[in-house]
Amino acid sequence: MLRTRQATVSALRFYSTAASEKPSLKLVAELRKRTEVSITKAREALGASGNDVDAALEWLQKDLAVSGAKKAAKVEGRTAGEGLIGVSVLSGGTGAQKGTGRGGVRAAMVELNCETDFVARNELFGKLLADIAHTAAFIAETDTNSPSYLQPMPLDLLHDAPLLSQTAPAQSRSTSTVGSAIRDTISKVGEKISLQRVAVVAREPIPLTQSTLGLRLATYSHGSVNLPSQGRIASLALLTLRSPRLSTLLTTDAFREELEKVERSLARQIVGFDTRSIRAPDGTTEGTALYDQPFMMMAGAPSDDSVRGVLDRWARAQQLVLDTDGTDTGGLEVLEFEKWTVGETVPSS
Amino acid sequence: MLRTQLTTSRAAARRLYSSRAVSQAFANSCRRAPLVGPSLVASSPATRVGTRSAPARGYAEAAKFSRAKPHMNIGTIGHVDHGKTTLTAAITKVLSSHGGAKFTDYAQIDKAPEEKARGITINSAHVEYETENRHYGHIDCPGHADYIKNMITGAAQMDGAIIVVSATDGQMPQTREHLLLARQVGIKKLVVFINKVDQISDPEMLELVDMEMRDLLSTYNYDGDNTPIVMGSALAALDGRDPEIGANKIEELVKACDEWLELPPRDLEKPFLMPVEDVFSISGRGTVATGRVERGVATKGSEVEIVGLGAHFKTTLTGIEMFHKELDRGEAGDNMGALLRGVKREQVRRGQVIIAPGSMKPVTKFQAQIYILTKDEGGRYTPFMDNYRPQLFLRTADITVGLHWPEGTVDASEKMVMPGDNVEMVCDLVHDVAAEVGSRFTLREGGKTIGTGIVTKILA
Repeated sequence: MLRTRQATVSALRFYSTAASEKPSLKLVAELRKRTEVSITKAREALGASGNDVDAALEWLQKDLAVSGAKKAAKVEGRTAGEGLIGVSVLSGGTGAQKGTGRGGVRAAMVELNCETDFVARNELFGKLLADIAHTAAFIAETDTNSPSYLQPMPLDLLHDAPLLSQTAPAQSRSTSTVGSAIRDTISKVGEKISLQRVAVVAREPIPLTQSTLGLRLATYSHGSVNLPSQGRIASLALLTLRSPRLSTLLTTDAFREELEKVERSLARQIVGFDTRSIRAPDGTTEGTALYDQPFMMMAGAPSDDSVRGVLDRWARAQQLVLDTDGTDTGGLEVLEFEKWTVGETVPSS
Repeated sequence: MLRTQLTTSRAAARRLYSSRAVSQAFANSCRRAPLVGPSLVASSPATRVGTRSAPARGYAEAAKFSRAKPHMNIGTIGHVDHGKTTLTAAITKVLSSHGGAKFTDYAQIDKAPEEKARGITINSAHVEYETENRHYGHIDCPGHADYIKNMITGAAQMDGAIIVVSATDGQMPQTREHLLLARQVGIKKLVVFINKVDQISDPEMLELVDMEMRDLLSTYNYDGDNTPIVMGSALAALDGRDPEIGANKIEELVKACDEWLELPPRDLEKPFLMPVEDVFSISGRGTVATGRVERGVATKGSEVEIVGLGAHFKTTLTGIEMFHKELDRGEAGDNMGALLRGVKREQVRRGQVIIAPGSMKPVTKFQAQIYILTKDEGGRYTPFMDNYRPQLFLRTADITVGLHWPEGTVDASEKMVMPGDNVEMVCDLVHDVAAEVGSRFTLREGGKTIGTGIVTKILA
């Protein structure tokens, strides 16, 4: 044992003159630049494929399935309490797409955990999360009979789904599923990474016969590092718009801008304050009920007035509701929301 | 203090030298006088033995003066599996063999997770050790946000760091984040330890780890060419086997830290600074400003500058007083009164500073790393947005400040700061104040502290 080590040491000393028949440094470095696999792995891959980078890449691809699973099993027992929450909105709702006037809602919110925030801040992790959120939003199907619009997605379903790239949808990565992509990343960063929870919403556009009604989505992610759609605390809220003049209003840019601004403000309010419900039970006022909170997160005009009051005033100012019409009950309402904080549901071991 | 230590070691050296001279004289005399009795000849090797043990004795004497060694806080940063804890344990073990540390084993160091569970993120410096030249406090750096918060609030400070990378994996994607953190917290020099080299059979691969690491260091503005990279096995050192990759490498690493990492300047060595707490007019003598000297030394008769709250002028320190007694010299830690020549009482106010001329400038705008206290820590309950205006307390100064997002921030008007966040923001002061990079301050609103920060960049 000692002898071999001495041999190693002397080999190290004479490295520059030693003939290299083993995988060359350059190739290992090249392979690592392209895949971020560990040095040992890169060397093994080149050794197995006769110093051919392309073959080694292929070898790695195959090997990842095995070694990734092994690595994942090794880190399985650890606690992954850090991470990020990513939101992907594929369709923001009625009037969200310019010109069409009405659209459906389709979005997902995903919490992906890891062990340290060093990894959470890394680009690889952010990209993985963005792709997973995109995939979840894309394949989302919600039960229309359920009373709630925002529904959890079974994690197994998402694990087995083919991973769709958010940045390059055309790129075919049919071989990797969400689960295998997670395992690949585990073998690269060496930390446990786990999908903690997924919520999705998917609704068809509201039929023309109900043109006074609209569904909209609002999101906010707080504490983002690389991508603005990801953060340590995030909210996804579903809003309804009601007005006899809705279809006309949605065609004007000015109204849409105002609408988006108030939507962002609402999502921010939900994240920023300790928000647990939309309305407090009748006859009570609670700080955790959104409508009772002072709307301090309203963009441009932070207000001490309640969210409820500001929304009502906003609806009148934007002529969603006409003051003269006493019977009209239009306006902007928050229908449902989800607010997540990283690690809050992770069981600590 | 350093001087005393130097004298000690010099004295030891002298002793060593002289004893060698004595033995040499003995040997010579023996050679010259072969007829001298055998008892004398026998005493000559005995003196030699004494000579050899002298360094050990000299070291023990130095260990007694451990407080005199300059102190430095050092941290390990690295991936969870790359052996940070093992390395820390190995350092204490190797150094304990010559009295420089108390061996702290894995289990004792790893108590940190429990502390983390209790909400103590970093137990600063629960491991300490010393080399021949320095005393080190050692911390582990478990996460980015945790460390930044500890740094801003002053709970932990790394003056230098050891980046730990396993030879089997090489640098990992998150190694970039480790270096970014080191950059962000102002660590200027690093030492790299490549661990687990006993698991690598091909020395070329070590070459590659070395090369990649130097590349990465340069990318993040560290001196990649000259940064010491030590390759060894912390586990071997801990197990007491294979000294050529174990204990010896740990010694090499510690030596690299001693030589490469720079000591932070100590308070006494920095330019003089005294924040003005109160001002009196003493008839017949003149204006006296009182305060506690934050750093440096000022002697009677030296020129000083008064800076802050619109003032910026020079005067002479005509007298220094402490406890109604005159002094020739005031230094860091002293609560003193400074008699200022030709200065009217109205010219000096609480919140200004008296400094060595030119050592600091008045500023009205700077960028800072800020931590906002959570409501459990006594801070705000609610978030705030751009142009939030609390009071900024910097030394004795109390100034209204506007907090803004740094220029170029996307959607600055729509971003918020929540309690518990640490953020980089631009502080726009309504008055000027003496500040420099590294100055600490607190933010208060309505009688409670809501945040604390460190100046990172002077803007105006």
